[in-house]
Amino acid sequence: MLQFWRILHGGIRNFLRNAWLSTAATAVMTVTLIIVIVSFISSLALTATIKGVTDKIDVSIFLNNNTTPDQVAAFEAALKSSGNVASLMYVSPDQAVANYKNQNKDKPSLIQALDTAGNVLPSSIEVKAIDPKHLDAIEAVVSQQANQSLLDPTAPPSYTGGRKETIDRIVHFANFFKTAGLAASIVFVVISTLIIFNTIRMAIFTRRDEIEIMKLVGATKWFIRGPFIFEAALYGIIAAIVAVTFSYLVLLSSAPKVASYIDFGSTISFFQSYPFVILGGELLLGIIIGAVSSILAMSRYLKL
Amino acid sequence: MILFDRVTKVYPNGQTALSGLNLHIEPKEFVTIVGSSGAGKSTLIKLLTREETHSSGKIIVGGLDYDTITAKDVPLVRRRIGVVFQDFKLLPNRRVGENVAFALEVSGARQREIKRAVPKMLTLVGLSAKQNMYPHELSGGERQRVAIARALIRQPKILIADEPTGNLDPGNAWQIIELLLKINRFGTTVLLTTHNKEIVNALKRRVITINRGRIIRDDEQGRYTLENPTTLKGATKGIATGVEAQN
Repeated sequence: MLQFWRILHGGIRNFLRNAWLSTAATAVMTVTLIIVIVSFISSLALTATIKGVTDKIDVSIFLNNNTTPDQVAAFEAALKSSGNVASLMYVSPDQAVANYKNQNKDKPSLIQALDTAGNVLPSSIEVKAIDPKHLDAIEAVVSQQANQSLLDPTAPPSYTGGRKETIDRIVHFANFFKTAGLAASIVFVVISTLIIFNTIRMAIFTRRDEIEIMKLVGATKWFIRGPFIFEAALYGIIAAIVAVTFSYLVLLSSAPKVASYIDFGSTISFFQSYPFVILGGELLLGIIIGAVSSILAMSRYLKL
Repeated sequence: MILFDRVTKVYPNGQTALSGLNLHIEPKEFVTIVGSSGAGKSTLIKLLTREETHSSGKIIVGGLDYDTITAKDVPLVRRRIGVVFQDFKLLPNRRVGENVAFALEVSGARQREIKRAVPKMLTLVGLSAKQNMYPHELSGGERQRVAIARALIRQPKILIADEPTGNLDPGNAWQIIELLLKINRFGTTVLLTTHNKEIVNALKRRVITINRGRIIRDDEQGRYTLENPTTLKGATKGIATGVEAQN
């Protein structure tokens, strides 16, 4: 235990004695950890945003107004059998008009237009899909020959329109962003590993007399290596604390400004619910990057 | 205490530094090893401190057979042997007391033990008043005393002094030799290497002369017998000039 404290003390002393290099290494590590955390947050927020968008989307299948209740029931049963239906609801023409008036109560001109047209809106089946990204099964049921006669010929089912493409685009963008975030994280982990490797290598060179003396007086290998590992781990510890604090503050201040585009609400609540999980994860990553780089540098340049 | 039995050391580049060297040193002996540069003195010391491993033969030090020690045991071997060098090898950014304490710290000594032992050792080497000074504030002789104090703090049975007076003026050199003799009187085996003819002759102790990796002379109360000490390293000015072959 005493030896352990001496090793920690040696690591801190090395860190301070090497202030400029230590600062540079810590800064690179901080950038890396911020990128990791941003990538993680974005992934969470994008997932939440996509879920929000797709949850709002129902497939609307507009029906011919001559459809009988029996036909509607049969059609509903067929849709359910597709396996991708979370819930469905029949909306009668009257209900459709009521809904429309309710949605547009601030826009009297639209309501007036509907009145002028004789309050005619098609009945519909509103389907909430289990997986809105894969509507093929529902689409297949709708396009069955037997069901074609039930559809309103003037209003095609809504999934075939622009909304599906928009969803696809969002999903595509989100996946791209997640992949890019992962790639950037990996690249920066590699960069900081290389920089810390170099910092420790320099430290080994500048302290070679001291290392020789340590060997001379009978220091064990780990007593000599320990301070170098702890010094590098210290870069990770400081960087993790800075990165988590910085990311949280930026997230808090920027979330309201981008709220209409991206939903950070769940991310912030995740941050607030599990601050120590996030900090712990970053600390662990920082310490691992530091320790591994340092061990690599020593295996190459510190022959004991 | 120290036994070399037909020890050979061949470096990876093919150079033979020691060839079939036999050496036996009893406990509490004071032995001086002389030899021109490249004779094998440094290799002998490196084998003792396990900085190098021998190619063949047997080395037994303090009952420990060097063939049986593993890499993990090397630090323990070094803690049993104190070494001082011509260039002192002190930590420049640590005070005198800290330099001496360092040898105890690496072996896991308790702080209380360190606080008790360091002042005692500094008193022994005559530096108790300079415990809080840095090495650069000391004279060469004083630095070497710090190095000796560090080598002795763990009470090793063997002290190796590798050209300890090489960088010192005659006055300081003698003080260091007197300190080594004092340490030897306390029961520590001392192994001294030097090029200083006057010191060797005045000591009247056992002298082992090495040449080309072999012992060519081994005399009780020996004298300096090398003809041409070309490697004086400038430190023994005035003492060892004009050395003649003796015996």
